[in-house]
Amino acid sequence: MDYPPSFGDPNSHQNDHYASPMSLPPSATPRSASARDDTHTNTSSDNRFYRRPSVASKKSLPDMGPPSTVTSHHPNSVAPSTPFSAATPFTPRTVDTSRVQPSLQNIVSTVSLGCKLDLKRIALQARNAEYNPKRFAAVIMRIRSPRTTALIFTSGKMVCTGAKTEDDSIQAARRYARVIQKLGFPAKFLDFKIQNMVGSADVSFKIRLEALALAHESYCSYEPELFPGLIYRVIQPKIVLLIFSSGKVVLTGAKERREIHEAFELVYPILKTFRRLS
Amino acid sequence: MVDVGSEWRTFSNDKDSKDMSRVGAAENPLFDGDTLETVMSLGTGAGALDEFGKQKYNNGPRQMSTADKALRSGYDAIRQMAGRINLSSRIINRAFSLFKQCYENKCVRGRSQDAIVATCIYIACRQEGAQRTIKEICAISTSASKKDIGRCFKQIVNSLPNSNRPESIDIKNLVPRFCNQLELRQENLIQKTAVFIAERAKEICDIQSRAPDSIAGASIYMACAAAGEKKPMKDIQVAAGVMESTIRLIYKIMLAKASELFPADFAFKCSPANLPTS
Repeated sequence: MDYPPSFGDPNSHQNDHYASPMSLPPSATPRSASARDDTHTNTSSDNRFYRRPSVASKKSLPDMGPPSTVTSHHPNSVAPSTPFSAATPFTPRTVDTSRVQPSLQNIVSTVSLGCKLDLKRIALQARNAEYNPKRFAAVIMRIRSPRTTALIFTSGKMVCTGAKTEDDSIQAARRYARVIQKLGFPAKFLDFKIQNMVGSADVSFKIRLEALALAHESYCSYEPELFPGLIYRVIQPKIVLLIFSSGKVVLTGAKERREIHEAFELVYPILKTFRRLS
Repeated sequence: MVDVGSEWRTFSNDKDSKDMSRVGAAENPLFDGDTLETVMSLGTGAGALDEFGKQKYNNGPRQMSTADKALRSGYDAIRQMAGRINLSSRIINRAFSLFKQCYENKCVRGRSQDAIVATCIYIACRQEGAQRTIKEICAISTSASKKDIGRCFKQIVNSLPNSNRPESIDIKNLVPRFCNQLELRQENLIQKTAVFIAERAKEICDIQSRAPDSIAGASIYMACAAAGEKKPMKDIQVAAGVMESTIRLIYKIMLAKASELFPADFAFKCSPANLPTS
């Protein structure tokens, strides 16, 4: 099959129901029940320290100091007591599911640990941490599951990159905060926010970039001397797509998963128009 | 009956010019036109000159507004760079007006003047239909790199009004210039053939995302080989500014469909089947 992993495949992050956080009832036991990814099985040992953040819960994590609020992550999160309403709107899956869907490749998120940090001490004591103050003023720390990299700054702010799903991103960020906490700093978990999401898709046919650039001049920027791909900027949602003549498409600049899907739905018919027939 | 000549009165030392205007020269749109400053001219009477014939009174430091200074230095740089490759005055004037636009828009604040000047020349060449590749512009510029020019280019094009967008780069304009440097005997024939090959190759071969100068180089090589004047790839490398290995790579791809690439009435000195493979 030349289509990317389908619905039921445990390794696919596409077509997942949690695309819209509001669609899950708060009472549903989320991740341990899903067969979605393997990374969750590795984290059972960490369950003692904190509960994996389920969508609408605001339970305070036992070993962390004051209760942490994850306010910006789930803007529409409902208090645990509210029952799931069938009328809650969510982005409907496209009717034509045999069509190709973009899959998320990278999520960049930031969180503030709420206290000043001593980077030298962190670099010396923590495992998998590198710190080269002459090159860059932050500690670069990596963990293996979920496979992510974090940049930790003196001010206590942290950037977490490399996660493939939103849940992985917040889970990884919590792990890093845990590491910092174990080193003795009063780390909290404030203002977690996903800053950027990158997705990719393959439309499986070659594209005539020149013609596309001519037709959509105001949105496209195509300079084969500078970069082989065409840069298409969608206004609403504000996403940038890199379209290559082989048919592969990269979408970036999204703050939410549905923006990537929306942008791809907008652009796919245009790409079909400029299909290379040979 | 209205006399549209300018108002004039004769004075004894006024030169006998046709249109004795006392309004002065026309405002140069290239320079800062906002200031209505006046300057003292050099003295001409007997009292103004000392015994050696030089001006007795220093008429003050010539004050130019900062805008004028900046514009003037930019124009000098443009003229110098354009002189290296003998660009026509139309292109130079267009580059001047582009530079003035950039200066007013402040869109390229923070870039080195070399990069801005090089980019203005690049865009001016494009707008006049005499495209120069970025590599050629780098060659005449003192310190601008391809990356700088690329970034500057994107910034400037975004701030131009849409109607003035430079057209995309066209191989038809590159081939004649490259051929000139090669000093071919059947220049016209090879030029036409190379252009034809390039157009056909873009349609049927898999080279759409290659840089236009590389495609031009490979097409010229194929045309030369087919016309009997086989030029070594090194010469084409020097003429086109493309690496030999890149030309070889694209040539190999084009070789697969060589017979379809040539015009129907082409007189083969060397048939497609016998074209050299490297």
